[in-house]
Parts: sequence; structure tokens; C-alpha cells
Amino acid sequence: MIVYQCKDSLESIFTAVFNAYEEHRDHNDTRISLDDEYYLFAEYVPVETDIEKAAKVIRTLKRRFGEEDYLSICHALSSPEPDKAQAVYQTIVKGLKGKVRPGHLLDNLADNDCNRTFVLARAAGREMSHLYGFLRFQEVKNGILYAKIGPKNNLMTFLMPHFADRFPMENFVIYDDNRGIFGIHPAGREWYLACGSENDLEEEMLAVSESEQQIQGLFRHFCKSIAIQERENKKLQQNMLPLRFQEYMLEFDNN
Amino acid sequence: MQYLAAGHEMTLMEKLEILTDAAKYDVACTSSGVERKGNGKDMGNCLKAGICHSFSSDGRCVSLLKILFTNECIYDCKYCLNRKSNDVPRATFTPEEVCTLTMEFYRRNYIEGLFLSSGIIQNPTYTMELIYHTLLLLRRKYRFNGYVHVKAIPGADARLIQSVGFLADRMSINLELPTAQGLKELAPNKHRKSILAPMRQIQNGIAENKNELMVYRHAPHFVSGGQSTQMIIGATPENDFQIMSVAENLYRKFELKRVFYSAFVNVNQDASLPALPGGPPLLREHRLYQADWLLRFYGFSAGELLDEQRPFFNVMLDPKEDWAVRHLEYFPVEINRAPMNMLLRVPGVGVKSAQRIIAARRSTKLTFADLKKIGVVLKRALYFITCSGRMMYPTKLEEDYIIRNLTGEKDRIRFGSDGMTYRQMSLFDDNSFAGLPAIDDRLKVASGQL
Repeated sequence: MIVYQCKDSLESIFTAVFNAYEEHRDHNDTRISLDDEYYLFAEYVPVETDIEKAAKVIRTLKRRFGEEDYLSICHALSSPEPDKAQAVYQTIVKGLKGKVRPGHLLDNLADNDCNRTFVLARAAGREMSHLYGFLRFQEVKNGILYAKIGPKNNLMTFLMPHFADRFPMENFVIYDDNRGIFGIHPAGREWYLACGSENDLEEEMLAVSESEQQIQGLFRHFCKSIAIQERENKKLQQNMLPLRFQEYMLEFDNN
Repeated sequence: MQYLAAGHEMTLMEKLEILTDAAKYDVACTSSGVERKGNGKDMGNCLKAGICHSFSSDGRCVSLLKILFTNECIYDCKYCLNRKSNDVPRATFTPEEVCTLTMEFYRRNYIEGLFLSSGIIQNPTYTMELIYHTLLLLRRKYRFNGYVHVKAIPGADARLIQSVGFLADRMSINLELPTAQGLKELAPNKHRKSILAPMRQIQNGIAENKNELMVYRHAPHFVSGGQSTQMIIGATPENDFQIMSVAENLYRKFELKRVFYSAFVNVNQDASLPALPGGPPLLREHRLYQADWLLRFYGFSAGELLDEQRPFFNVMLDPKEDWAVRHLEYFPVEINRAPMNMLLRVPGVGVKSAQRIIAARRSTKLTFADLKKIGVVLKRALYFITCSGRMMYPTKLEEDYIIRNLTGEKDRIRFGSDGMTYRQMSLFDDNSFAGLPAIDDRLKVASGQL
């Protein structure tokens, strides 16, 4: 058995897929692994991330399976689960071999790998649409909008286009608390990512203005008075809006 | 009008509190139906699926900034908190305040857009005009490109409704009560005709606009998210069958996007309204929504779910289970062969799982384990399906047997949430049904007279 050992990134995993094809491996006897799992009689091949190879794989995926399925694969790869690389790899192999039409890559849910990819992609997609709604910006003193999130999946690359489209003329920053990634959008220009930690920022930079506190107060009030007392159902609220999101939302501060 | 003058000294916070509180019984807080990319300059875009931004403590989604423009009202609808005979604090926003709130909230990703409704000041046309000016300001001066849902006021000038339609993404006119009779009793100032006329107008406007957009791609959009309406459930004695028939007609004849049902909350304690000791009829509302989904996505008609003889939904079973156990002649359904419309009628199979079944069975023969992975709720579905000719367990295709199993111990928790409960009577129960027997009764019993 061949085991490709790669890093937890889209490019690295796609490079491994490229290598597996380039080296004409038997795909049933090849694994792509992210952690140090050990198999008996396996040959371990470390993978050097190669942007060009990854780009080629991306091009093929888009051509053969269509934009939508390519996006599902990206969603699946944003997952924190270590078995995602293997599931996606096998899904791609089966899709290429089976001559799937665009948009039908994840149809065969009875298949374990397809199903796994589908489940991971769905979980990431759901968390993404949750964050579209639950992310909260606050205006810091110099007028920049700052948001902090703690998602399970690595969603920054999916969140930024949405918010850049929504607020084209705002300077905003989204910070992924779990991974130490900043998504930065300067007004009227392209967004980009940066690594770092919130702790490295000066406290002064994250201080909020008085008008910001007023707006937050207004919204807290709004959330309180919009609820109908006779229908109170905290459990339903928590089902719809899990606690791990509430942690980052201002309207739940006082609970 | 002296309290209106006092209203101007109110802070924004107080106004927001009063006018949110007044708007909260409106249920249509959705932001779906419109896909609009940002234009690269102005703030805002819309997603087809809509986005929920928060959930209030009653578990309802907060998607839009749901406010009334004013809670002053010249009408006296018996069920409404803002009726003119109620002594409640009144407030009115200025158009600028509404715009500032919307923009500031939107910018921080608190909301998906604005839901503007209003009490009636002076007359419907005047009120509609105020709403129009607010929207115009929001769209033109503040350049807001997000979602706007606005109420059309019945009885307002048709040209105003038309102009507002070009600024809003969704419009709605509340039907308020399912039948004209109920409306007459509880909302003496509103008439069925004046509610349906603007509804028809908007429907025609949307149809015309579609044709226009086909020819001129950049023509302005008219109510591109469609229109919706809402009815209050449980304030008047209509049965579920009547309500479902009304909803069905609204979908078919008026091409509404949504009909919302709102469990009646007795805020005024008016003598002509029913007292609800068990709280609002939430289970009934839930069943109506379930049936509403069956109408819109599952190909059911109201006449199939209910009829004159059984005009109410079953408390224990959801409408689909209820239909299935009464129509066992259609079952069991073979998962690997059945057409879409039959799969959709199986309890425990939703639209998504039906689509996935159809997609997946192209390449394999599905088993029960696969169905579980696909997301079919086998607990409900297993009585009604076969995979390659086999049932999951040996079960009987009998109405009583299936009902007994579908309403097992765990599911029975739902029963009773409507305030209705049951218990087994026993000889040793301590509840004295008519008080203690009188002394002479005891004597009669002792002497054998009773």
C-alpha cells in the first residue's frame, strides 16, 4: 500500500491526488492521509505542496464535475475530520472512472466514500450558512468592522466572498478564533487572508466607540422585545442557534 | 393628537421598543425568494434561500428588522394590540430613523433587511405614502440594496401600491382571518374585498413584470420575491379544512409565495374572543404548517388531507402519516422503482431524501441501511416501504397496528402539549367528581333507596 502524507490544506491534498495519478498508482491500494496513521507493509510518501499541480486538478474537477460539485469538494475539504482527504480522493477516483456527468458526482450516496464526502460537505455548508447569519461585526474606533468567529470548519475562504459582495465599500476584518486566520477586506478592493493571532493586536485597535455601544444596545433591545412571551421556547431557540455560535453573538452576552 | 407631540421627545430606544413590540405578532419574517448580487458600490445583496440572523427566545427566526412605522391606528380590530380603543404607548418613527436603523443594523450583519408594516394614520393612502417615502429614501439616498418586505395597506391608492412594489422585494397583505364572516366580526373596519383587490393587483403586476423582464433585461423588478399573507388561527371558529382550502385557493388563484399561520395570542382579553387557558394553539399551528408544506412541495391537495366529515387534523399523527394510514391501498412503495410523486407520499421521506433516492438508485440497488444514510426517517417510513421487495421488519399493513406503532411511548410526548391530556381512571382515584355526597344521600344509600 502507498500512503501519501500531506498537510491539511486544499492544495496539498490536490497535489497528492495529482501525484497518485501521475505515478499510476492502484487507487484501491493507495491512501491519502493527513495524520500519522500507520499501516502494516505500507510505503509512506511525503507530499510537497505544488500549486501548479493543484491548479491542474482543480481544472479537471471543474471540467468533469461542474462548479457545483467542485464547490462541494472544497466544502468537504474545509472539514476538521482527518478522514476527509481519503474520502475526497476516493470520490474523485470513482467519479473519473465512472464517467459521471457534471452535477452528479455525489449522487451515489450508497457508496461509503461518496457518502462521507457528502456528509462532510453538507456539515460545512450548513455551518457556512449559519455564519452568514450569525456572524456579528462591531465597529472599532477607526471605523473598521471587526468580527470574531469560532467555526468547526475552515470557512474563511467561503465567508469572505459573501461579505465582500455584501459590503463592497466597507473595511472589514473577520478573525477565525480557532485557527488564527484573518480575512481582510479593504474598501473597494480585493479581500485577502493573513495568519496571526488576535492577541498580537493592540488593545486600542479593538476598542469600540460609544456610538457602537449604542447600536449594540438598540439591537439587544430589539431582540428582547421581538419575542412573544406566550410562545417562549428556549429549547427551540437553542436548537436553531447552538450555544457555540451564541458565544460570539452580542445579543446573548447577558445570558 | 397630544400624545403624538409627546412622541417626538422619545428616544430612539423607546420608539424601537414600542414599535418592535407592536410588530412582533406579524409572522412573515423571511428573507427568501430573491437572488441579487451586490453591485460593487452599494451595501447589500440577497440570497435565494434567505438568511436567519438570530433566534428570539420564542425560537422564531429574526431575519429582518421587523418594525411598525407607527402604532397609531384608526381601526379597532378586536384581536390587535394597537387598536384605537387600547390604551398603549404610541410612537412613530421618522423615515430617517427607519433608514438609519436599517443601515446600521445591516452593516453589522444583525439583519437581512427591513420588514416595514404600519398602523393606519389618517387613512390607508396617507399611510402607504409614508411607507413609500421611507422606502424611497432607503433605496435612493441610503442606497440600500438588501431585502425589503413591506405591507401593502388594504384600501390604499392602487398607484401607490404599484410604486412601492418597485422598491420592495416582497409585499404582503394580511388576510387576518380565514373567512369573511370572521373578519366582519373581529375587524369591522376591514373588508374581504379590499384585502383581495390589492392582492390581485400585485399578482398581475408580478406577471406583467416577468414578461417585461424577458424583453428588457434591465427593467426594474416588481416584488421579485413574490407576495405572502397571514391568517390568525384559533380566534374564530373555522375548522382546519376551511383554513386549508383558503390557503390552497390563495396558492392556486393568487400565486402567493407563502401563507403564514399565526396561533392566536389573546392580548386584549376582549369578550368576543376565545379565552385560551392552555396558551396559544401552537400544535394546531404546527399541523397547519405541515399541511401547508404538503400542499406546496408534496403534491397534496387540501381535499385529500381533510374533508367535511373530518375537518380537523389528527393531534397524534402528522398530516402525512394520517393520510398514509387511511390510504394503505397505495402502500407499500418499492423504493427502487417508485416514481417521485409516490416517494413523496411516504411518511419519513422528504423532498430532499426523495431526490437523493432517485439519484442514488441510478447506480445501485438501495437497501435500508442506505436509506438511513440518505436521511430517510426509517422509524416512520418502515411501515410503508419495501427495498427490493422486502420490508425492513415483518410488519402488518393494518391501520390500527401502524397507528399504534407510530404513536409509541416516545412520540406520545407530543400529545398533551395542546393542553388536552388523558389518564386511566381507577377505583382508588381521589378526585371527587361532584363533591362529597350529602348526608341524606348517604342515608338513602344505607337504607337501600339509591
